[in-house]
Amino acid sequence: MTATKTKESAMIEVRNLSKTYPGGVEAVRGIDFDVGVGEVFGLLGPNGAGKSTTVGMLTTTIRPTAGRARLGGFDVATEPLRARSISSVVFQDPVVDRVLTGRRHLDLHARLWGVEFAGARARIDELADALGLANLLDRPLASYSGGERRRLEIARALVSDPRVLFLDEPTVGLDPRIRHELLDVVAGLRSRRDMTVLVTTHYLDEAERLCDRVAIIHAGRIAALDTPDALLAGLGREIVELRVAGDPGSALARLRARNVAGSDAFAVGATVTVPLHDRGAGDAIAAIHELGLAQTIGARKPTLDDVYLRLTGDRLAGAA
Amino acid sequence: MSTATEVATLPRRSIVFPGLASLATLARRRFQLTVRTPRELIVPLVTPILFALVIAPALKEALHTSADYESLVAVGTVGLLIPLNTMFSGLSVIGDREQGAQRELLAAPIRRPLLVLGNLVVALTITAFQVVTLLGFALARGIDFNASGRGVIWFVAAAVLFAVGMYGMAETLASRVPTQEEYISRVPAIAIVPWFLAGSLFPISALPDWLTWITKFLPLTHGLAVMRYGLLGDTSGLHNIWGTHDATAMATLSLLVVAAFAALMVAVAIRTFTKAASR
Repeated sequence: MTATKTKESAMIEVRNLSKTYPGGVEAVRGIDFDVGVGEVFGLLGPNGAGKSTTVGMLTTTIRPTAGRARLGGFDVATEPLRARSISSVVFQDPVVDRVLTGRRHLDLHARLWGVEFAGARARIDELADALGLANLLDRPLASYSGGERRRLEIARALVSDPRVLFLDEPTVGLDPRIRHELLDVVAGLRSRRDMTVLVTTHYLDEAERLCDRVAIIHAGRIAALDTPDALLAGLGREIVELRVAGDPGSALARLRARNVAGSDAFAVGATVTVPLHDRGAGDAIAAIHELGLAQTIGARKPTLDDVYLRLTGDRLAGAA
Repeated sequence: MSTATEVATLPRRSIVFPGLASLATLARRRFQLTVRTPRELIVPLVTPILFALVIAPALKEALHTSADYESLVAVGTVGLLIPLNTMFSGLSVIGDREQGAQRELLAAPIRRPLLVLGNLVVALTITAFQVVTLLGFALARGIDFNASGRGVIWFVAAAVLFAVGMYGMAETLASRVPTQEEYISRVPAIAIVPWFLAGSLFPISALPDWLTWITKFLPLTHGLAVMRYGLLGDTSGLHNIWGTHDATAMATLSLLVVAAFAALMVAVAIRTFTKAASR
């Protein structure tokens, strides 16, 4: 079996992939994307957006209702064993046997993925050193902290040297320090040019920091797909954010009528966000003050949160 | 802490007998998990040992039955031990799904029926250990078995096939019910009620005719009849089912019934698990 069947093309190909659960819940609605060899690709969206269902279909634990997906050229529906043999997953929730040791978890993965015994031992030692697990490996998982367990799960996924690594919300539920530490580990994976990484997250900073490209997924559909820089560039150099007292819709209409805001300005609740493409923040703020619309007003750099808000009308962190 | 960037070597892949190697790996994992949960080893043993060593002798005294009755009940308790133990093994499958590493196994490049078969291997091993323990206790208590080598083969074949079928039933139930509580609530109906009806403590001919007819469809009735034939040389159970006098033919037929039950339940278990594993 070879994992380089389509090395020249995308390592992950997704075409019109859909999943409707029994009961009619449409979790994923005809998404399309490609991920190149060695690329770090992010699926960004709130809980319930369809990220984990997409990962479930790509890892063959969820059956697609329609569409097609390939890993390294292997169709996940018709060649699931081959697709699984070149991939590994770090799940969103703890997926460990608490009474078994860390070493046993790594060994089990190596055996199930068919890694040769001698190679597996060396690789486990390498990974334990690289991920700071060497002193923990012979302890049962029940004694690990959340961050240690997450590092162990990442090490486990790497034992088989996967061509495709899925990280499903890798830092969710971790305290900020451990989260930061873990992001370092995941960022380190970027240098593995032969490994393609698909990471799902609802943390914007993670997507910006880790990913070559990001797909913003909302209600089962891809709302935008590009590099973080390109997505941010769509919102101009700066944005002005104002909180209005009255109807934000009419405030937005007045701003557009005075050419202060363009078609990409948007309102969420009582907050109106105005991307600035051609004028400076000082000019825009002065013009808004003249209209007497703002209770509070400020200017800042755009973030992926703003991109997401413009596309979906929801605040990402709140939705998550 | 350093990062994973230092990792570079590519492990070579083993391709010799991947199915068998995976099965052995899965069975080893299940065994390691089980031995760390002693309740799975001890609890199923308690009731059958109580029956074989305390209740059967008490019944013998109270009812003035012969020593044969103790032997009859000792083998009959094997028919309780096997369902109890296999059902307890099924419980760990739910634990695996709720708190364990089942999703990691589902993402592995192995055929999913192997997950069921790996669990089955361990359930059979533990059941065998428990049956031997039970019979050992019975022998130590002075209960007499009159078995030839050929008889032991009949006994082992019936016990193994019945255990396979019961484990298939346990795994099927574990794949279908969402919680351990719901699973446990169904165990008495599956593991204990048939035991009372299948001729464990008294011959099925002692039941009302219509109930006797129904018990002939229970795999346990056939399993116990063959086990008693093998271990005690007692053909009355087989005769009560088939009504003839050719012991070997009756035992063969009953063993085929138990084998069909085993094959059917394992097939259902694999189908149910595979379906549940890929939503």
